[in-house]
Amino acid sequence: MMLLKKPLLRVLLFSLLSLLGASAAGIAQKQPQNVQVRIGAILASNKNDEFDSRLKPLEKQLRVLKYRSYRLLKDESQDVPWQGNKVFEIPGGRSLMVAPQEFQDNRIGLKVRLTEGQKPLLDTTVRISNKGNFILGGPPQEGGVLVLSISATAQ
Amino acid sequence: MNGCEHRVEAIERWLDGELNGAEAESLRAHVAECAECGEARRRLEKIQQTLQGVLLADAQQIKFQPFWRAVQLRINEKQPWYHEALERLRDTFPASRAAWAVPAVIALLLAAVSLESYLPFWRSSGRNSFATVESIDAYGRNVALLREYDTKTTVIWLYQDQEGENDAAEETAPSGPAF
Amino acid sequence: MEPTDLELVKQCQAGEMSAFQELVSRYHQKVYMVILGLLRNREDALEVAQETFFRAYRKISGFQGGSSFYTWLYRIAVNLSIDAQRRQKRNPLDFRETMDGVLESQNEVARDPFADLHDKELREKLNRAINDLTPEHKAVIVLRTIEGLSYKDIGEILGCSEGTVMSRLHYARKKLQDKLSAFL
Repeated sequence: MMLLKKPLLRVLLFSLLSLLGASAAGIAQKQPQNVQVRIGAILASNKNDEFDSRLKPLEKQLRVLKYRSYRLLKDESQDVPWQGNKVFEIPGGRSLMVAPQEFQDNRIGLKVRLTEGQKPLLDTTVRISNKGNFILGGPPQEGGVLVLSISATAQ
Repeated sequence: MNGCEHRVEAIERWLDGELNGAEAESLRAHVAECAECGEARRRLEKIQQTLQGVLLADAQQIKFQPFWRAVQLRINEKQPWYHEALERLRDTFPASRAAWAVPAVIALLLAAVSLESYLPFWRSSGRNSFATVESIDAYGRNVALLREYDTKTTVIWLYQDQEGENDAAEETAPSGPAF
Repeated sequence: MEPTDLELVKQCQAGEMSAFQELVSRYHQKVYMVILGLLRNREDALEVAQETFFRAYRKISGFQGGSSFYTWLYRIAVNLSIDAQRRQKRNPLDFRETMDGVLESQNEVARDPFADLHDKELREKLNRAINDLTPEHKAVIVLRTIEGLSYKDIGEILGCSEGTVMSRLHYARKKLQDKLSAFL
C-alpha cells in the first residue's frame, strides 16, 4: 500500500490496469451469435417523381443512382447464423442467398448470391460495417430496375 | 518499561493538550506517582525542548525588513503569463490528485472506445463506411463498382446482357444508373 | 486593539498592502521555523519561506475564511517544503556543516562545559534523527513541537485525519527516542 502513496507509481499502476482491462474487454468482446440481415427490394425508375416515404433512411444513398422515382417493393429481415445462410425471395422471380462468414473489427463478411430462377446472376463477397449496408442493383423490373439494399447487424 | 508502555501514547496526548479534563487529571495523578511514566514524560519534554530550542534560535535570526523586501521583490516581479495558468493548474490538480486523474482519464477513454462496440445506441443508425468488395463474379455480365464518398455508399451494379434480356424494360429505363 | 488575522486578510483582499505586510510580520519567523524543521537547511528554508508568502499573496483573494489564516498559510508552507524536499539532494556532510552554523549562532552559554558539549551532541543527533524521518512524520512533529498546533489543525494543514496525526506523532517520537536514548 505504501507504493500507492507515490504518485508516479499510482499513474503507472492504474494505467497498466486500465490497459489490461481494455484488452480483456476486447478479447472478451462477445462474438455475435447471429447476423440480422435485412433486404430492401426497391424499384427505381424514371416513370414519375415519387419517392416512397418508407425509403427515407436510404434516400441519400438511392439518389446516387440518379433515378427519379423509388418505390419499396419488399422489406424483409432474417436472422442468419454464422457460417450458415438464408435465402430471401426477391421480386421478379429472383432470390438472394446471404451467408455471413466472419465478424472482425466490427465488420461483417458476407457472401451474397443473386439468382434468377436457377440461374446465378452475381456472386460477391463483401465486408461491411456492422449495421451498415451496400447497394446491389441492375436487374430489370417493372419498367425500371431492381435495387437491393443489403444490410447486416451482428447480434 | 514494565506495565506502563500502553500509557506512553496517552502521555503524549496529555502533553499535547488533547485529553479531556477528567482523563488529563487522572493521568497527571498517575504520572506524579509512577517512576516509569515520569521518565517517559521527561524524555518527551526533553526532545520537544531541544527541537524547539534549535529552531527558535535560528528563526530569531530572520529579521523582518530584509525578509519583507525579498517577498516584495517577488510580488513586484513580472511573472511570465503562463506562470499563473500553471499555478492554477497545479492548485486544481496537485500531484496526488493528478496521479488519480491521469489513469482515470486513460481508463475512461479506453472504456469509451470499448463501449462503442457494446452499446448499439452509441452508434448512429445508418452509419456506414465503405463496404469492401472482396470478390465479384457476374457470370460474364458487365458489372460496375461505385463508391460514393458523401454517403460512403458502395454500389454493385449489374448491367443487363445487351442481347435479348427484357427489351421492354430497356425502352423505359436506362440499363444503368446515371453515375 | 490589534486587528485579527481575518480582518487583516479582508484588508489585503481590498488591496491594502500594509495589511499583508502586518501578516508577514506576524508569521514570518514561525513559517520559517516550520520550513526549517522540514528542510533542515537554512538557505533553502529562507527561500521557501519567502515563496510561501509570495504564494499566499497571490492566493489571498481566494481565502474564504473556512480555516484559520495560519493553518491556510502553514498548508502552503508544508506543501512547498515537501516539493523542495523532493528536489533536495544533499549529502549528510553538507547537512551537518549547515546545522553547525545554527549551533554556533546560539547565544546560550552553559556554565558547565561538559553539559554544553552534551547538549551540542544531542542537537546534532536530533537533527540527524529528524532528517531520517519521512516527510509526513517530519511535518507532524515539527508542527506540533514548534507551533503547539492541535491534532485537528495539523490534520487540516496536512490533509489527514486526527487519528493519522496521532499515530504519526507517536511513531516519530518513538523513532527519535530510540535514536537519542543515550542522550535523554
